Amino acid sequence: MATQTVLVSQARADGQPAARFRPGFELYMWFFTRVSGVLFLLLAAFSLVYANLMGGQGGAMHAGAQIRWAFFPISFHVSNAAVELTPNFANPFWQFYSFLIIAIAATHGANGLRMILTDYIRHPLLLSWVKALLFGVWLLALMAAIYLIWPAQG
Amino acid sequence: MSKLARVTLPQALNYRGGQPMAAWLLHRISGIGIVLFVGLHLFGGFFLYAIEGGPTSAAANWLTDIYVSKPVQIFVLFAMLWHGLNGLRIIVLDMWPALHRFHREAMWVQWALFLPSFLLPALLIATSAKI
Repeated sequence: MATQTVLVSQARADGQPAARFRPGFELYMWFFTRVSGVLFLLLAAFSLVYANLMGGQGGAMHAGAQIRWAFFPISFHVSNAAVELTPNFANPFWQFYSFLIIAIAATHGANGLRMILTDYIRHPLLLSWVKALLFGVWLLALMAAIYLIWPAQG
Repeated sequence: MSKLARVTLPQALNYRGGQPMAAWLLHRISGIGIVLFVGLHLFGGFFLYAIEGGPTSAAANWLTDIYVSKPVQIFVLFAMLWHGLNGLRIIVLDMWPALHRFHREAMWVQWALFLPSFLLPALLIATSAKI
């Protein structure tokens, strides 16, 4: 990998601490990628356990519904699942929860694409334009998520 | 022009990065795959709800038919599992650099977790009547 953000390559095999980086955008995104990665697993585990405790256990939900519950736990995404009939999931808690999942997923994914583009696009001007386009798609994804989670449910 | 090294295809194929390089390549492929799937899913859902019954919902149905097909579902399962497990390995090695002594063992642990948790559900999806 050609970018200088990879701390793995700086870590020393003898266990000495890695070279220190000056704080900045790249370091913050490096940290965000790791934190959001762990957060995905925790959020998915919480909604999966919750769905199964609320009536999805014992084969009531097939594998596809379990996975939909794990990644986007809001009423219309799980409409043919067994749990849907229990409480009303179109409430502020699950709306905020779903938005949090989409927001960190969009940011994690857009940052990953930015790393890949920086690795492969050699022309600086083209890279700037593609990054601007990526930023626009990221904003559109957030707006689509807000529309789907709040007004579309009204 | 950028400062990136120029690598020809034969050079790239000759580079023996071993398992960590394969893991890095699969991480990249699965990352792009997840971005495509989640992006199609999100914008497909948006088009479905934005203009109900209009031309956009036909586009949304067409997208839905693609991403609920079995090969795509199995690929999504692969991509999610690999990206998650490999990401955890990277996080652990980044947070505790001393563990780099055991980076080969970490790959084997990862394979041991990945293969059963991918192959068994993949088999279930492949043999089930509906997804």
